[in-house]
Amino acid sequence: MKRTTEDWLLNPPPTSAAAAARAFGIDLTLLVGRLRLSPEERLDDLQRMIDDIEAARAWREQASDKAAGDDRVTRP
Amino acid sequence: MIKLRETIELLAHNGVEFVIVGGVAVSLHGSSYVTFDLDLCYARSADNLRRLADALAPLHPRLRDLPEGVPFVWDATTLRLGTNFTLSTDLGDVELLGEVAGVGTYEDARAASLEMRLYGVRCRVLSLDALISAKRAAGRPKDLLLLPELEALREASRSDD
Repeated sequence: MKRTTEDWLLNPPPTSAAAAARAFGIDLTLLVGRLRLSPEERLDDLQRMIDDIEAARAWREQASDKAAGDDRVTRP
Repeated sequence: MIKLRETIELLAHNGVEFVIVGGVAVSLHGSSYVTFDLDLCYARSADNLRRLADALAPLHPRLRDLPEGVPFVWDATTLRLGTNFTLSTDLGDVELLGEVAGVGTYEDARAASLEMRLYGVRCRVLSLDALISAKRAAGRPKDLLLLPELEALREASRSDD
């Protein structure tokens, strides 16, 4: 019986590229989740990740600037 | 930070001929890889250079590695005189490639691409086979790290054939 893409990734045959990817450390369940999305949805998902990472970087820079400012105030 | 939808819509609505390559293409095929720029292989016909220059002009494109204060003229002539352009724009970072290593020119990339409908526009996206060839040809550690995932995706997509 022909296997579906999802089934292939969730239960990869031992010598398959999918099995090799899993052994390499790739989380194949993430691929399954992504493949359930349309290409447009994948792009929106990518944009959300980009936005979230950039927001985290901006927050870290602000926190770092604040800590440097506090450090200058508290040192004699 | 790239604004993917706005950039793709802008280029498509201006009739620019391009193929999405690189990290965004990888993501469109299902990879969980996160990229922060949009890589495009563009047609180098005189008409398309003009359309591309006109489309991006309102976004104030600038070469990313150009020192501040050094003048940079963005027009079709600049595009004609170069091949690859690593740009920062008002919508984020865009890389324009006249050729893709392991694939070839725009015509080669287009022949090795498939159509995806994104935000109501038909876009060309480099195929998994060609992305794998490109990553192998680029050969940087970050490219080679993607190969196991891409090969798994390609194999899995064929399981439905």
